[in-house]
Amino acid sequence: MHYQKYRLIVPFLLPAILLYGVFVVWPYAQAIYVSMTSWRGVSPSRPFVGLDNYRRLAEDSRFVEALSRNGQLLIVLPLVTIAISLVFAALFTQGGQAIPGAGFYRIVFFFPQVIPAVIVGILWSYVYTPNIGLLNGVLRNVGLGGLQRSWLTDPATVLWAVVAVAIWSSVGFYMVIFLAAMQSIPSSFYEAAVLDGATRWSSFRDITFPLIWETVRTSIIYLSIAALDFFILIIVVSGGSTTMGAQRAEVAALYLYNQAFDKNRWGYASAIGVVLLLLTLVLSVGIMRLTRRETYEY
Amino acid sequence: MSDERIERMFREGIARGWSRRQLLQAGVAAGLVLPLSTALARSAAGAPLAQGTENPLGVDPAAPLDVVIFKGGFGDDYAKNVNDNLYKKLYPDAQITYAGIQRLGEQLQPRFVSGNPPDVIDNSGAGNLDNAALAAEGQLADLGDLMAAPSYDTEGKTFGETLAPGSQETGIFDGKQLLLNWALTVTGVWYSQTFMESKGYTYPKTWDEMMGLSKELKGSGVAPWVTTGVHPQYIRGFVFDQMLWKHDPQAIVNIDNLEADAWKAPAVAEVLEALVMLGEQEFFLSGWEGLDHIQSQNEWLQGKGVFLPCGTWLENEMKDSIPADFNMVVAPTPSLPGDKIAFEGIFAGGGEPFIVPSEGKNVAGGKEWLRLLFSKEGGRFFAESTKSLSVVQGSGEGLDLGTAFGSTQAALTAAGTNTFTARYGDWYKDLGDTAKSEIASLLQGQSSIEEFQAAVQEASDATKDDPAITKYQR
Repeated sequence: MHYQKYRLIVPFLLPAILLYGVFVVWPYAQAIYVSMTSWRGVSPSRPFVGLDNYRRLAEDSRFVEALSRNGQLLIVLPLVTIAISLVFAALFTQGGQAIPGAGFYRIVFFFPQVIPAVIVGILWSYVYTPNIGLLNGVLRNVGLGGLQRSWLTDPATVLWAVVAVAIWSSVGFYMVIFLAAMQSIPSSFYEAAVLDGATRWSSFRDITFPLIWETVRTSIIYLSIAALDFFILIIVVSGGSTTMGAQRAEVAALYLYNQAFDKNRWGYASAIGVVLLLLTLVLSVGIMRLTRRETYEY
Repeated sequence: MSDERIERMFREGIARGWSRRQLLQAGVAAGLVLPLSTALARSAAGAPLAQGTENPLGVDPAAPLDVVIFKGGFGDDYAKNVNDNLYKKLYPDAQITYAGIQRLGEQLQPRFVSGNPPDVIDNSGAGNLDNAALAAEGQLADLGDLMAAPSYDTEGKTFGETLAPGSQETGIFDGKQLLLNWALTVTGVWYSQTFMESKGYTYPKTWDEMMGLSKELKGSGVAPWVTTGVHPQYIRGFVFDQMLWKHDPQAIVNIDNLEADAWKAPAVAEVLEALVMLGEQEFFLSGWEGLDHIQSQNEWLQGKGVFLPCGTWLENEMKDSIPADFNMVVAPTPSLPGDKIAFEGIFAGGGEPFIVPSEGKNVAGGKEWLRLLFSKEGGRFFAESTKSLSVVQGSGEGLDLGTAFGSTQAALTAAGTNTFTARYGDWYKDLGDTAKSEIASLLQGQSSIEEFQAAVQEASDATKDDPAITKYQR
């Protein structure tokens, strides 16, 4: 009996494990080794330096600064994205109380998710362009010309300008996920609640939210991992990894990229990568633990 | 056995009509330990010999050659010309593998790591391999023998003697010529000759006059200056560095050499005080902080700004958007009171560096390819196809290729030996990064000159104290 089971499981699992081993585990193992060398990336010589790179990293104020930006993103990105997506999802569904035109909005709000991140980035880099950009143009025309600025180089705005793009482009995706979760809630729950005199808000708070909590939790983890990365949008919106904007919104992954590809410090960059890997693991496990709640069966 | 003796022996040998084989035998017989090519090159340097096409580098005529070129602003027709019309002609049996690509680092790095690099590379453009890192790793062939070899089509001169003076300095690492710069770039302040003449203005030779004219221009509704705030290394490298060099040449040499308090020198503060006026008096086109180089150059071509810091690649880079009668020309930065270098002094040097990897399979072939490219014929082809000067002396003579080309040649003639380029930005990228970001903050009124000096000096000291960074001296 047991043998037969394994005869089925092994051939199905083996290819996946092999691929995972070759393309995920092995590169990680290599990166951990490279992080203990001073490899410049242009010759086969990789002098071993032990934990030197990690020691330097601990004292590197630019890295700490970059990580603290990730920290800010970690709070803002999941909170704002999930809040907005939940509002939209609730407006477009919730037990037959959907607002008029919900079907249209559902599709339109998903559009940004269909566009590749690079194109989203280029699009918005033009929106933020100071002299011919849409944003400053709108501000000028509605009499708020005083608010105009170079959004992508001003140290006060550059990071948040990019965060706004990230939220804009991901709200549609999480809205759809929440919609799906909400649609699986039987509408009889809401009918009963309405009979008992529940308002829209109270039925959201007491029925919808608890029942889709598992989905929200998964979204928090996804968005937190995205906040720890946040590489593509900054590099594309700001116009390159070494621009003023990228320098002033430098997150850990961008710092890693510049150390490797611009400064040729592959050993050091690998050490940053290993630290980020550990942070991501700790964060995922931490969030899972913190957000564990009783799951409702229905 | 002294060098002079070897050299004399070879010179006498050649004078007697010995073949290379006989020379080699004589050399071996005499216990010669110097590499043959070096010795031969020395003899060629000493005696004017018309053996330009005679394979002075000892290339194996049948060996395949692997050529990789950065296909950027200059295109790559000039390189294909060398492949098809020069190298193949001399060595018809050689099989040439050719690639014209961008972002060379990502594509070539694995080849270097696995010990299989191409034979000759134009290592330029964004995302190229770090030349300093390659040099530090011993991955670059010493081009000393090529420099001393006879020129391909200038009789009686060595290869090195045919190149513009000073153009190859940036290719020297620890006394060895490891890079060869191909394009002769001049950087400075660009303007439209048509515009200036139509308003009756002439280019201001002093900073005071520049400020006066800027005020007048601003009053007439046009921004006097435009530059990119997204890449502030433009204003740093093409204006600040140049003005500092003219103000006090030793000050910028000290900066390149990471001397203590080099950034706190009075000359640095004096130049910055002048530059800060551009920000304070709002002489930059509004919104310049958020313009990248292409956007700022477009605004300039549309006449929204008058003066633009840039280099000689400008015309080729913008060739699709230049108005018909724009007539762009380049000028040196204006003089400050007490400058030690005359107004005509200008930043000029080699760009578009070529390398021959030391681990390549056909090192001699790679060098020979460069000898053919850096010839009068190669230089003329380049000038005609890109409207840009190469480092080959005289390769642009007699060509009428527009105002940018003409003004570059005129500026070089006027400057004579007063040309220079700063090195710290290429040698020490962290330092260059800090300087560029601090100058942006300074010009945008976010910091003071003292803060600029303190921050950049700190970066310079950090670089100096970091044992992991290879140091250079000039």
